[in-house]
Amino acid sequence: MCLSNDVLLKMTGMEIEFPGVKALDGVDFTLRRGEIHALLGENGAGKSTLIKCLTGVHRMDAGSIVLDGQSIRLTSPQDAQRLGISTVYQEVNLCPNLTVAENIFIGRQPMRRGGIDWKTINARSSELMRRMGMDIDVTLPLSGYSIAVQQMVSIARAVDINAKVLILDEPTSSLDDNEVRRLFDVMRELKKQGMGIIFITHFLNQVFEVCDRITVLRNGHLVNEWGITDISRLDLVTSMIGKDMNEIYNLKKAEQRGDAPVVLAASGLGVPGKVESISLDVREGELVGFAGLLGSGRTETAEMLFCVQRPARGSVSMRGKPVGARIPLDSIKRRMAFCPEDRKRDGIVADLSIRENIVLAVQATRGFMKPMSMAEQQELADKYIRLLSIATPDAEKKVGELSGGNQQKVILARWMATQPDLLILDEPTRGIDVGAKAEIQRLMLDMCRQGMSIIFISSELDEIIRCSNRIIVMRDLQKAAELDGEGCDQSAILSIIADEETGREAV
Amino acid sequence: MLKAEPRRQSALTRIFNPKYIMVYATLGVFLVIYLFGALMYGDKGFTTLRTLTLMFSDNAYVGVSAVGMTMVLITGGIDLSVAAVASLTGMFVAYGVTVLGLDPWVCVLFSLAVGTALGLVMGAAIHYLNVPPFITTLTGMFMARGVCALISRESISIDNPTIDYLAGLKWYIMRLQDGEWVKLKPVAYINLSVLIFIAMIIIGTIILQKTRFGRNVYAIGGNEQSARLMGLPVARTKVLVYGFNGLCSVLSGIAYALYVKSGWNLALQGSELDVISCCVIGGVMLSGGVGYMQGMLLGVLLKATIPAIITFNGTMNSWWAKIFTGLLLLLFIIIQRVVVASSDRAKKTE
Repeated sequence: MCLSNDVLLKMTGMEIEFPGVKALDGVDFTLRRGEIHALLGENGAGKSTLIKCLTGVHRMDAGSIVLDGQSIRLTSPQDAQRLGISTVYQEVNLCPNLTVAENIFIGRQPMRRGGIDWKTINARSSELMRRMGMDIDVTLPLSGYSIAVQQMVSIARAVDINAKVLILDEPTSSLDDNEVRRLFDVMRELKKQGMGIIFITHFLNQVFEVCDRITVLRNGHLVNEWGITDISRLDLVTSMIGKDMNEIYNLKKAEQRGDAPVVLAASGLGVPGKVESISLDVREGELVGFAGLLGSGRTETAEMLFCVQRPARGSVSMRGKPVGARIPLDSIKRRMAFCPEDRKRDGIVADLSIRENIVLAVQATRGFMKPMSMAEQQELADKYIRLLSIATPDAEKKVGELSGGNQQKVILARWMATQPDLLILDEPTRGIDVGAKAEIQRLMLDMCRQGMSIIFISSELDEIIRCSNRIIVMRDLQKAAELDGEGCDQSAILSIIADEETGREAV
Repeated sequence: MLKAEPRRQSALTRIFNPKYIMVYATLGVFLVIYLFGALMYGDKGFTTLRTLTLMFSDNAYVGVSAVGMTMVLITGGIDLSVAAVASLTGMFVAYGVTVLGLDPWVCVLFSLAVGTALGLVMGAAIHYLNVPPFITTLTGMFMARGVCALISRESISIDNPTIDYLAGLKWYIMRLQDGEWVKLKPVAYINLSVLIFIAMIIIGTIILQKTRFGRNVYAIGGNEQSARLMGLPVARTKVLVYGFNGLCSVLSGIAYALYVKSGWNLALQGSELDVISCCVIGGVMLSGGVGYMQGMLLGVLLKATIPAIITFNGTMNSWWAKIFTGLLLLLFIIIQRVVVASSDRAKKTE
């Protein structure tokens, strides 16, 4: 692999301070012509902040940016684009109401006889998309196309701006394997043309597949820069999280006593077309893992237990008493709690503070006639911030401003505060980084040790196996098997999931 | 695999591009209602050009304002001050000409300056201070109404040769008969207000479809955050859109003043909602990002057809017009929801 040494972009001593947090502290970053440079780090390491300095979204407090030998100052995204710095964001940042072609050309439309030259726009867009391997009608609105196509459109836009620097901020998170491969082909092609590409991703195998160089950030500091061949995968992970992997995953399952009382008993629960008929018991202090493919009925079962979706038949009882719930509040009052899958939509209230988010469920159980005093609220919030080590300057920060892992902790805190007997967690570790994942898992196990029962739904088999006392495998809207958590391995679960489903990839 | 949707770019598919769906809905409903009127009252002259031009001239002031409103709605905003600003324009002209004895052109220029400035200020408040457009323009509406009442509580009639001349301008629609141009029977003509309306529709269409500014308007309505990240001048565009709408409000006020030849502080109360409903019926989405001047024009015509039918009927109370307009509005809002929901569904199944 040849590494060019022709420096294209040099950022030195970058510093940014947000209220209460130093987001970047003296970070250096160098990008050379014709290289794909991975920028890695955990959530909150400062990757996004660094990128936003480079795209003119954030104003830096200190530091310098030199592009092509010239010192530059960026005050707006327009500035960055004019200088040849283009960005493709993780969430597609295009306008769904405009056509594909217009999304590629808006802001720099070719003009003809005093008006926008739509013919040229459509023809050139069509050509651009075809060169990226996509033969689509560019005159249709963007909203009609899949996320993968939209992602490619935003890359086409970025590329056509004649960018010198292309920033790809987690472009692959919503693409499947083939789409990723096609994206990589495009990236290699652009690299050959001498473009410098900054590639941000959470997928390490992708880093080793296309990148030439790696820079790792941690907590707003630069850890180091390596050539791709100079570092092993394990060292890379260790440098990102700053701790040894083994140390992180040194988790012990909660001991399970065979004579523990049954907390939750469900029998014959079902909703036509969603879950056939499911029965299960959960004992005190037990962690029951739900494995299975997306759409196998995992989430639906959880929603029936908590009465988000009212079961059409069957019954649920808590500690021997029938729940008879009609709405989730009934379930809460029976000391159940549920953290839904989509934390952005169903979990956090982004515009409220951490304190307000934490007290929500407790307040709901007390009824609005008995408001909690401010002091009580603060005490509760501070307690859980400490307990769960939520990284925040204070309890009044808006939840929307926290990183994914910390948001998840706030939701956990919300439900822990109700002191439930049974906590249902649907994908609590999705989209958060390795360190935070381990922390969440440790918290779950601690709670079990203190006598709480947990139903844990996850797509990642290894974490299910690592934590569960018992594993329920779902397949085709039914319970396919119930396994003992001890001595269970991935292949056993996979073969159950794969039964009659061969050809579909698990997890 | 990336879905390689077949490329279809024939003339037919260009016309049936889903982005025009709302315009077609309006066109369809307009044709149905117009056809109904034609069948019922064709013998009484419903289908004559005269009826059509009268529908134009009776609603020109609403239409002129709707040009600006369409742009505001496309950005995802709303402007409640339009009718108040139009009324204020009438007051400026009436008071200036009748009481102060100023030249009417001076009054018109003054109104244009004030209306545009107010629009720009509101746009700036909306963008820079992040005040919701509803509140900002509500404030603008109260201020404009307040100034109207300050000028005079009484209706002031306009008695001025220039205004009379402008209001009396008529262009008859002629036809060729035996090598000679003769007036159409029954007589059909357009006046200055209609001319302003048509000119503004053309200008609005050119701005929206042929200029970068116009496309930025759509982009902002589609996703303001994206528009900013794509490097589009969001602030400038938003402020200018409200400024342009202020200008349209003033022109609308002038059209109205020519229509009634007076200024009154309570004139046009509630008309801002007429303007907004014309846009919505014309397929402009209140959520922003979607809308065409052509659709709005059809919306104005559709909204004018209903009272026309009721007038031709002769027995129905004119309040029925309100009820039918309400139903129409409901219909179009439901259509909009269905369109949005079905496009959401299409995305999910991909």
